[in-house]
Parts: sequence; C-alpha cells; structure tokens
Amino acid sequence: MDLTTEPMAMTGSARRAPGSAHLLALLDRARAGIVTVDRAQAILAVNRPLGELLRIPAAAVADAVWLADLLDGSAMLTEALAHEVDAALRGSIADGQPRTIAIVRGHGNEARFLALHVTPLADATWALTFEDTTERHAAEATAVNSALHDPLTGLLNRRLFQVQAVAALEARQARIVTVHVDGPPDHGSQAVLLIDLDRFKSVNDTLGHAVGDSLLGLVSKRLRGIARADDVIARLGGDEFAILAAAAPDRAGLASFAGRLVDVIGRPYLVDGHLVNIGASIGLALAPQDGDTYDKLLRNADLALYDAKASGRSTFRFFHAEMDDRAAARRSLEIDLRKALALQEFELAYQPQIDLDTKAVVGFEALLRWRHPTRGVVSPAEFIPMAEEIGLIVPLGEWVLREACREAARWPDSVMVAVNISPLQFEDLPRLLDAVARSLRHADLPGRRLEIEITEGALLCNEQGVLAALNRLRAMDVRVAMDDFGTGYSSLSQLRSFPFDKIKIDRSFVTDTGDLASQNAFIRAINALGASLGMSTIAEGVETEEQLARIRAEGCTSVQGFLFSRPVGPEQVDSVLAGFTQSRLSIPSA
Amino acid sequence: MQPLFRVLYCSRTATAGGPDTHIADILSVARRRNAADGITGGLMFSRGCFAQVLEGPIEVVMETFERIQQDERHSDVTVLQVGPIAARDFPAWSMAYAGANDADDPTEGLETGFTGHASGGQELLDLLRAVIVREDDRLQLT
Repeated sequence: MDLTTEPMAMTGSARRAPGSAHLLALLDRARAGIVTVDRAQAILAVNRPLGELLRIPAAAVADAVWLADLLDGSAMLTEALAHEVDAALRGSIADGQPRTIAIVRGHGNEARFLALHVTPLADATWALTFEDTTERHAAEATAVNSALHDPLTGLLNRRLFQVQAVAALEARQARIVTVHVDGPPDHGSQAVLLIDLDRFKSVNDTLGHAVGDSLLGLVSKRLRGIARADDVIARLGGDEFAILAAAAPDRAGLASFAGRLVDVIGRPYLVDGHLVNIGASIGLALAPQDGDTYDKLLRNADLALYDAKASGRSTFRFFHAEMDDRAAARRSLEIDLRKALALQEFELAYQPQIDLDTKAVVGFEALLRWRHPTRGVVSPAEFIPMAEEIGLIVPLGEWVLREACREAARWPDSVMVAVNISPLQFEDLPRLLDAVARSLRHADLPGRRLEIEITEGALLCNEQGVLAALNRLRAMDVRVAMDDFGTGYSSLSQLRSFPFDKIKIDRSFVTDTGDLASQNAFIRAINALGASLGMSTIAEGVETEEQLARIRAEGCTSVQGFLFSRPVGPEQVDSVLAGFTQSRLSIPSA
Repeated sequence: MQPLFRVLYCSRTATAGGPDTHIADILSVARRRNAADGITGGLMFSRGCFAQVLEGPIEVVMETFERIQQDERHSDVTVLQVGPIAARDFPAWSMAYAGANDADDPTEGLETGFTGHASGGQELLDLLRAVIVREDDRLQLT
C-alpha cells in the first residue's frame, strides 16, 4: 500500500474522524501494521493489524495517546528496539526524509523480522508502516543455502567449499604470524583431499541415474561418518568430493585417514535392492608445503588424484613435486598432439596378415605412427590414451580410415586392409558410418576389402547401438573383426551377439611366457569356437618358429607378426607382397 | 508390508587374530537393534571373521547393511548372496561361534548355537560355516 498517494486517509484519527471510516476499514485489511502520528508523536490513526503484528493488547491500543504508549505496550519490541523506532521517526521529523529500518527479534529459527518504513505525509503527519518480513527472510536464507549446498547430498557445493577453504587458509597464516611472536611456531597444517569415485559412471549407465543419485547420498553419509567434526566436506560435482582437513594431523595421520576413506567408501552398497561396488581414489595436498593458496592446493591435490588413478585406482596419493613435472610433460605432449594432425606428422605402417594354408598375404593391418620432429617416433601406447582423453581420437581415426583405404586401393584386389576403430568412435555412430562410407567412396575401394577391428570395449556401453552400426557396416560389405580376443570379461557372450568375420587372438596367448599347456588349450578352444561359428581366427605377435608351430598345431588359420614381417611403410608394401609371391619367406609346414 | 529381502555377507574383524573384546558388544547391540527393526537372521563368527545373514523388509535390511558397512571394526566385506525372498529362513535371531578352535571361544557366557532357523536355512548355515572355517584357517596360516 502506497501511503504517500493517500494522504487524506490519515488526516484524522480513528477516534477523532469517523468520516474516514471507509478508508480506515480498508487499512484494517492491509497486511502491514500502520500508525500515523503528528509532529509531537501523538497518535492520529491505528489500523488493526498493527496491534497483532507488534503484539499489543487491544485495550492498550485503544488507550494509547502517544506513540510511546503503543511501543511500550508491545510484547514484540524490546526497549532497545522501541528506541530505534523512535530514533527513525525523530530523524524523519527533523529532515522530512523517509526512513526504512530492519527490526530483528530473537535468534535462529525463532527470529522474527520486521521492516519499518517511516513516511512523511502531507500536513505534518508521519506514517509508520510495520511489515512482517520473516517469511521472506526464511525464503532468502533457503535460497542462499541451496545456492551453496549440493541439493542431492546436503554437502557444501564447490563455491562454499572454496569460500571456507580460503578462510581457513587465511586463518592459518594469521595464526602463524601471531604465534611466532610469543611462542613456538604452529606446525599445524591443513590438507585438501580430492576424492573421486571409481566405476561410478558404469553404475549410472547400467542401473540408471536414480540409483546413481541414491548411491551419491550413501557415499556422502559414509564420508560424514569418517570425517572429524571440524573437517569441511563438499561435493564438487559429479562423483567428485573434497574434504578440507582444517587441523590436519601429521602425514601418517592423514595417510591413515585417507586409507580409511578408501576402505569404507570402497565397501559394497545396497541401493534399491541392487548390490553396487565402487571404489574411491584420493589425492592429498598439504598447506603450506604443497601450496598456500586454495587454487594451488586444489590443483596439486588434483595431480595427486590423477596419480592415484593412474596407479590402479582405489588408493590414495600425496602430492609430490615430480607429479608437477609429469603434468608438465603431459601438457606439452598434449600441445604437440593437437597440432600433429594438421602438421601431417602421423603416418601409417602396414603389417601383413598371412594365410597359413595358401601362404599368401591376405591383408595388412594399418598401424598408426606419430613421427614428431624432436620427440622422434612416439609410441601409440603413449599418445593413443591421450588422444582419447582429449577427443582427438575421432578425427584421427577418420584420417586413418581415409588414408588406409586410399593406400589399399593401389594393392591387388585380393589384399584387404584392417583398420582399428577406437571405442570412442562408436559413441557417434552416424559419424563413424559416414566416415567409413566416404573413405571407401573417395578411394574407390570395395567394402569387402576393408576390415574394421573393434575391441570389446566398444560393445560395453551401448551394445544395441553398436550392433546396429556393425550391421550397417556389414551391409556395405565391410568385414568386422574382434580384436584382442580373450583379454576382456565378456568376450564369449559378444561372439554370440554378432557374427564377426574374424577373431584376433590376443598376443598374450602367443608369447611363450607362462604356462604353455594352458595357453595352447586356450588357442585350441578359440579356434574350435571360431570354426563352429564360421569365423576365421588370426594370431598376432608371432615372433618365433616355435610359436608358429604351436599356433599352427592348435588350428589357427592365419597369422601376423615379426616372424613374417615388421610393419612397413606404404612404399614397401609392394616388395612385401612380391616377397611372399616368390615364397622367399619360408613357412614351415604343419 | 514391504517385500522381504535377504543379504548374506562375510567380513574380517579389524583386529584379526586374537580374541576381540568388542565381539560381545557387537553381538549385544546387533541383537537389540535387529529385534527392534524387524530384522532376523544369523551371525556366525570366529576369532578372525564374521558371516551374517540378514532378513527383513527391504528398506530396513538396506539401512542395517549400510550401518554395518560404516562400522570400522571390521573390513573386507564380501557379499555372497543378495535379493528378494518369499519367506524368512531365519524367523528368529541367532548367532554361533564357529571358530576352528572352540577352546578360545571369546563369547563365553553368551548364548551360542544356531537354533532359530527354519529347515530352508540349513543350506545358508552350511555356507556360512564353510566360509568362516576356511577364512579362519587361512588367517592362522598367514
């Protein structure tokens, strides 16, 4: 209600000007409590809500002559608060300007909030409007709370964690300064622990987000259970949590704390009737030795976390300086790798695949090489994981397809080219299918001369979608091989789900290390399986005559390995083919 | 009425090896809480490990299991069986000491022996006993 536009409403008190009863009735329906006074603070009019709001007995309202009488009768206003009201009114009377003050009575959940507006009206009267703002304050508090807390777990969110961590770090620095003056230095340090859940994504993927969310709730409860009262716990996002140990014990104490976290978070969970197993990897950084600012601590804890994950997960690592060096090396590799495609530093080498019966080269596997001007030849084991991490694998994989098809088009019609496809390329199926179709078209290569090698990792996430894509490839006459067979968990069931053209037996079954009898049994079983499913088998990594003899004896139909040829540059493919045609390389008979 | 649910797990006591003075505490607290929560089942233990069946309404079993997971007096929890059940195999609550060497029974004075199970529970009991005795032997070897 805007009182300034209705000055006439308050020109007479309820008791002295019954003619304005209509307006006063209107004011009685206002939610605010209103009283008008003259320059001497004599009451002119009072609406009904005022008594209710300020908890003044009706008789006291009726009897009150001066504003002070009203305020004295209020069970809501203490003497100090009444004084503030009086001071605001006096101020407005003195300078003719409106005033607004906030009045708080009580604490915590019991607190009541009032806003008082003092408004000068016409003909030397003033209106005091009291408004109950308690609900609005509560709503604002909730809004602030939810802006700073993670709604799922009730833990602090990243923003509030930062605020509290910064404050704690500053408090420590201040403490050290004062302690230095009159006592021994305070060695109490603080630690940031970054906690990342292992295998959480697969829980979300297989059991759904509702189970994933419930799981995060349970994880946060376990964190709370282990942490001490003054530890600050936050969910930074996704499956990443952080703990600020404000008064961290020594390294050994922290190690035991982190070890307990890894243990307890890694124990089984029952979520909605499902048994769920996840793990926790933790990186720790200590203040001040690993950094005295929040950003530095968090960054170093992150490097330690990376190290914990790289060393097999479900473990913890303290930050140390070499991690910084390794991170710098990774960064520099990443920068070079991002430029490598544009600078045409990649090349393909081709390793022949030989049919043991006809002793002829039936195809070449295209193998990616990166030749960097200063690094030299970088191992795929080093750059492929990074290419996958930074998403470069998709354009890189497309380049390999294009280049391999272009080369193969020059080869004899009986010779195929095999190309490895990363599981990540299967995440965008239309793009992959398009890349294959265009590579074939541009090279004018028939589909039957291209073989796609996939690992079972590709089938793990979106099996139905991938199977549909494999069928589309099959419709283009492209052949599909299962790579690294025998190393994963579900190889057998995957053989059932799609009619692969070829099974590539993992090289670990070919090398002579370990129990030969059991390796032979595996090779024999895979070959028998392939034969009965109508899939050919190829053994890779064949390096010696002995290995070849074993593999032959166990029924492999084709082989690939250093025994026959190293991977060669495209310019040498012709001579490799010629060599086999002239049977210069001896293949022992079975 | 919530559907019934069962979980069967085994774990190691945090202080594997010697008789654990906590065992009597753990048992009496477990007995009291489980009775209040409508949980029945059996706990079999030796000096080195626990094996436990919990049966009851699914929500309560999940809560109880979660509470057990947060207890740092044991570790290496392995869940052997989990899922909905039509009826309880253990309508009452019972516990037994199944260590390799009964002379060291740390629960002297406590009620022992599995008595409160239906005939269908025998298979589970046998499983528990097998796990416990094997683990206990292994711990003695190491």
